[in-house]
Amino acid sequence: MSLQAVVKKDILDVRRAKLVWGVGLLYTLFAGLSFWGIGSSSDTDIYNALFSMAGIGVLIIPLVALVAAYLSVAGERETGNLKFLLSYPNSRRDVVIGKFIARSAIVVAAIIFAFVVGLGMAFYYFPSVELPNYVGFVGLTLVYALSYVAIAVGISAATSTRSRAMGAAIGSWFVLNVFWNFLPIQPATVIEFVADKLGTSVSQNFKDLVWVLSPTGSYFNSLSLVFPDRINGAQGGGGVGDPFYLQPEFMFVILALWIVVPLALGYWRFERADLG
Amino acid sequence: MPAIETTALTKRFGDVLAVDELDLTVREGEIFGFLGPNGAGKSTTINMLLDFHRPTSGSATVLGLDAQDEIGEIRKRVGVLPEGLELYDRLTAREHLQLCVEMKDAPEEPMAVLERVGLSEEADRKAGGFSTGMSQRLALGMALVGEPDLIILDEPSSGLDPNGIQHMRELLREEAANGTTVFFSSHILSEVEAVCDRVGIMSQGELVTVDSIDNLRERSGDAGEVELTVETVPDDLGLKVMDDVSDIEIDGDEIRAYCHNGEAKMNVIRHVDRAATVTNVVATETSLEELFNKYTGGGRDGLDDDTRELAEEREQPQGVAQ
Repeated sequence: MSLQAVVKKDILDVRRAKLVWGVGLLYTLFAGLSFWGIGSSSDTDIYNALFSMAGIGVLIIPLVALVAAYLSVAGERETGNLKFLLSYPNSRRDVVIGKFIARSAIVVAAIIFAFVVGLGMAFYYFPSVELPNYVGFVGLTLVYALSYVAIAVGISAATSTRSRAMGAAIGSWFVLNVFWNFLPIQPATVIEFVADKLGTSVSQNFKDLVWVLSPTGSYFNSLSLVFPDRINGAQGGGGVGDPFYLQPEFMFVILALWIVVPLALGYWRFERADLG
Repeated sequence: MPAIETTALTKRFGDVLAVDELDLTVREGEIFGFLGPNGAGKSTTINMLLDFHRPTSGSATVLGLDAQDEIGEIRKRVGVLPEGLELYDRLTAREHLQLCVEMKDAPEEPMAVLERVGLSEEADRKAGGFSTGMSQRLALGMALVGEPDLIILDEPSSGLDPNGIQHMRELLREEAANGTTVFFSSHILSEVEAVCDRVGIMSQGELVTVDSIDNLRERSGDAGEVELTVETVPDDLGLKVMDDVSDIEIDGDEIRAYCHNGEAKMNVIRHVDRAATVTNVVATETSLEELFNKYTGGGRDGLDDDTRELAEEREQPQGVAQ
């Protein structure tokens, strides 16, 4: 009952926040550009457009999710709004879970909007659209987005001020996204370097595992579930004969952990905190 | 069963002892004023009653329920106006109340509550555009939702104009008349004086006194002062030796006598009238403000019930208490 009230209040409130819609529209814009750009070229493979969307997505979707949720608890805590929710029969757990559900709903709505626009353009530009795979791709992208909503809500619950929440949100985006999967120096190569200096070596499978441990890495790796092999060549794991922890299905376990663990840690801190 | 009871309730923030072994009892059905200057520990105490802050030691019960373990049940039965409450800028007044009604499973109509706090005209305006006074009215309305057994208000009058304060007092009296216990904190004394059955005064984390306003006055040893304007002040007045007169001040042609009771005031007037030509007389009761300053200005020590001492402190400037 009270969980519903928290969710309802939050959606009512946030749907009027322009910043969230701004970032959401940005993703829609990029989605449109992907389809337009690839669709109007001689390339008739829709998966190239989808893969391009995934590439843009891993940069923008975390931003959509973080912007939508990083202030969800900390912002209200700093202004004193939180005392309103907690003066009524809502527990602190209701607040954390309610915020996660509400902000997830907002982010999911924004992403689905972008993909509906994309689907319309896909039918226009491409000779064939395999709907199940398209839906599967959207589904995976949503799970990926939820992991970042959970990270943002977790950060927000664990921090006491807006500025700290923002710092932690930017930091997590940089570390978990840019550093982990895109920089030439990343955790996998750091481990390899250290191992090398110690006179030992690490297997390719281990380096691949490290790479897929971030939300972005596991999202990319899971895409082979919906993309044909010709597109997927670029990624490391997921092939036949790879260990279970590199199989695309296992990526759901990693993404699920990225949802549960940040929320649990955030709640653990929040539950003990002095508010206001 | 007391509405609120704290036992050796203590809260420490690092080196600062915000609340120091507080033993406070608020009886069922009374209007209790929780007084003290800013920083005395009032809000911290209230925050602990509502589980916003966790006590360092000691315990508190609200409506007989443990303030930590049974906070869910407490929140169902208590109406709260928290300190520094910010409304949701993007929600309208009606939406705020709608949420309160839903969260408490209350039977009220949001419009009826808005009517009560005088905001029915603003029902569909977003709270972001509200003045402080309007926000405070809405927050008060939100605290009244669900027919609470106890209403806790932290500085409810901040931002209200005199009209709003008057209106709030009436609302609180109505609630109390229906058997609701009202507990509110304030650093503005006139408000407490006008509406409270009993007051507790906090100073530097300690409860320095709890009593009714009348008893407080009596205990402070003053029933007030009498001020006489005379043509010329006689050399030897002999007022100081009179019973129940604690102090005399002479300033030009004005004589001011501080008295312990009304009879002493009358004696002073008669005495001066015999000795000089009186052109004007003003008799006043001690305002709670002065009492309050005495209780809080002296700090942690010197707050004993030694009324003489308190009375003698009068002439010293009272910079701290506001």
